[in-house]
Amino acid sequence: MSYAELRSNPIHTPTTLAEFGSIITKNPEAVLWAGGTYLMSRPNFYPSDEMVDVIDLSKMAELQRITRTDRFVDIGSMINVAQLADTGRLILPPLLLEALLSIGSTVLRRQITIGGCLCIPDYRLAIPTALSVLDTMAEMRLYLKSGRSSTKWVPISRLYDKEGKLVNQEGRFILTHIRVGLEYSNYQKFLIAGEPMHKPAETVIIAFQAERNTSSLGKVQMTITFPNMAFFINKEVIGQLTGITLPIMPTQIRQVTGTLKSELQKAYPNIGPLQLARALRMFESILYDINTLYLQS
Amino acid sequence: MTLDCTIDGKVLSLSVNSSKPLLQILSEDVDNTTLTSNCHGNGCGNCLVLVNGYAVLSCMVPAFRLKDAVIQTFESFSKTRQYRDIERAYQATGNRPCPNCYASRTLLIESILQSLTGAHHPDNEKPLPHGGVIGEKDLDEKAIVKELSLNTCQCMDTGELLQIVELALSYRSRKNVVRRA
Repeated sequence: MSYAELRSNPIHTPTTLAEFGSIITKNPEAVLWAGGTYLMSRPNFYPSDEMVDVIDLSKMAELQRITRTDRFVDIGSMINVAQLADTGRLILPPLLLEALLSIGSTVLRRQITIGGCLCIPDYRLAIPTALSVLDTMAEMRLYLKSGRSSTKWVPISRLYDKEGKLVNQEGRFILTHIRVGLEYSNYQKFLIAGEPMHKPAETVIIAFQAERNTSSLGKVQMTITFPNMAFFINKEVIGQLTGITLPIMPTQIRQVTGTLKSELQKAYPNIGPLQLARALRMFESILYDINTLYLQS
Repeated sequence: MTLDCTIDGKVLSLSVNSSKPLLQILSEDVDNTTLTSNCHGNGCGNCLVLVNGYAVLSCMVPAFRLKDAVIQTFESFSKTRQYRDIERAYQATGNRPCPNCYASRTLLIESILQSLTGAHHPDNEKPLPHGGVIGEKDLDEKAIVKELSLNTCQCMDTGELLQIVELALSYRSRKNVVRRA
C-alpha cells in the first residue's frame, strides 16, 4: 500500500474523564494512547490500513496527579516512569523504585507511563511485578455499552488471567490511578535477568518482600514473572519461607528451591531451561542475601 | 492532518498521517539524511532527536503528539557550540562512533551532558511530547552506562564511551565557568 492511500486515524484529545466517557461510548473500538512505546513497537503499527479512532490521554490532568497521605500514595496512570522515580525517590518503597529504574534509559522512562505498562495486553514487565508484591490496587473506570459507567478497585495481580494476558472487562475501561501502600516490609528485593521486551522467552523478573525479624522471616510475598507468561505467585513456596528461622540452612535453601522448581515446572510445562535456571538461582541469591544481612546484624 | 512544528529552526506546516512516526516524517517529508534507523520501534536507538530539548526515539513519537513541537536533529545540532564539546572529546580520545550511529550517539551524549550539568534548555518550558516534564540530575557511572545502552550499535565499548562523556563534560563545565565569569 502506498502512503498516499492512507487516511489519518481520527485523534480525540479529551481533557476530563467526563469527556473521555462520552468519546469512548461513541467509539467503543478506539485505541487508548498513553505513552505509545508498546503500540509503536508493534510490527504493523505504521503503515496500517486499519482506521481506528485514537484517544490521546496526555491532556487529561486528572490522570497526571500524585497524591500522598500518611498511609498510601495515589499515582495517576499518565505519570511517566521518570517522573515517578524522580518525585517518589524519598517516599516510594525501594522495591518499586528499583523496578522503575530497571527500565533502560531516561529517554524511555520519560515515555513509558504507569497506566500504559500495566495495560499492555500480552506482556508482563518489571513494574506490574513489583506492584503485585506491594499489594497495589488499581482504580478502573468501566464504560458499559448501555452508556452507564462505574468504578472499581482491583488488585494488580487480578488484572491478568492465568496466561498473563490482560483480563477482558465487560465494556471498555480506563485505569485512572494506582494506590501504593506506604507501610511495607523491611526486606525488599527486586531482581531482573534478561531483556523483557527483546528477549521475553529468556527473561525472569523477581520481586520479593518479607518482614525480617531478629530470628525469623514473616509476611513473605514473592512474585516471579516470565514476561510472556503469567505471574507466578505460589502459596507452597511462600508457606515454606514464612516463619523460617534465620539463618536459613543450606539444606533448607535446597529444599525450598526444589519445591520452587517442581512448582514452576508444574505451572509452566514449556518453561525453557535458561528461564528455569535463572529463576532458581535468583531465588537462591535472595535467600543467601537474607542470610548475609542476618549474619552482619 | 496538518502538523505545525519547527524542525531544525524551520517553521513548517506538513500534511501527514496522524499516526506517522516522527522518524518517517523526518526522512520522507523533510528529507533529513542524518537518521539511519530502520528498526520500526524495536529500540535500536539510532533515531534519536531532540523534541522540545529532550532526547526521544523518533520512531516512538507519532505525528499527533508533535503539535507545535520544536524538533532538533543532528543536522542542526552539529552546527551548535554544544556539539563542539563532544566533537573535541572524540578527537582527544581517538574514538568516534561509526557513521551508522554517529548522529544518534552524539545526541545521546548531549542528553547525558544536559542531565549532568543541569542545563536548562531554552525550549524546556514546553512539555514533552507525552505530557510530562522531568529533569534527572546527579547520574552516576552505572546510570551513565545504562543511558548509553539505549543505542545498541556495537562499534564502541562502554569504557570508550564513558571516557568521551567524562571528557566532554569537563569541556562543557569549563565553558560554563568561563561564561559565568
